[in-house]
Amino acid sequence: MSSCPPYAPFFGFGGVAAAMVLSTVGAAFGTSKSGIGIAGVGTFKPELIMKSLVPVVMSGIVAVYGLVVAVLIVGGIQPGDYSLYAGFVHLAAGLACGCTGMAAGYAIGLVGESCVRAYVYESKVFVTMVLVLIFGEVLGLYGLIVALIMNSRAAEARCI
Amino acid sequence: MSEHVAVSKVTAQTAEYSSALPKLLTFTLALAVGPISAYFLSEKFLWSGNSTYAAITAIVAANLVLVGYIITSMNEDNQTPVVTSQEKTESRKTR
Repeated sequence: MSSCPPYAPFFGFGGVAAAMVLSTVGAAFGTSKSGIGIAGVGTFKPELIMKSLVPVVMSGIVAVYGLVVAVLIVGGIQPGDYSLYAGFVHLAAGLACGCTGMAAGYAIGLVGESCVRAYVYESKVFVTMVLVLIFGEVLGLYGLIVALIMNSRAAEARCI
Repeated sequence: MSEHVAVSKVTAQTAEYSSALPKLLTFTLALAVGPISAYFLSEKFLWSGNSTYAAITAIVAANLVLVGYIITSMNEDNQTPVVTSQEKTESRKTR
């Protein structure tokens, strides 16, 4: 059994898809949930909308994490000299980034909606909201760091 | 008569918040274009092919866009209360 079977890129591209798709699911949840809160805020106090859009920008950044990992993994896949080890590494890296992005987007959505609604009544909630959102987004960053570390080891195996 | 008041209020509001739309479009474009171009450009020109460092550069660029947005939104909030209080006193006078 060769260590570079022809079906090895299946796992690599599975990692690419997982990174992009799952982090986008998280970012979509974060954007939509906080967008619902912003629509509620905007009917009462439209001047708060610019500040209330911070959760939406943070959800966008979670999607950017997934995009960067997807582009990074795609750069390392080639049709010929691609080991099964590298395929598994790329799959795990994509899953790590994508699932943590999903978690981060979920947290950003829930926090964004309720904090944006609370911001209408108490303006000091803004700093709290930004802090909690940063902690939520950092979850996606952890997944990205692990994905980067894993991806750097993908070129270790040689074809025999 | 109330229709005129409503129309003028909507146009006044859109004129007041039309400064928000270019800022939002700028940040949208920055977030869409910035990180991925930072990845490819830094991989080619800065890190001579090391894609891990290029990914880190892209993430730093994305977080810089976020910090810029937070700072811009906080600065805008310090400016708008002047305009809204003027508009409210004007609308009270016209009634």
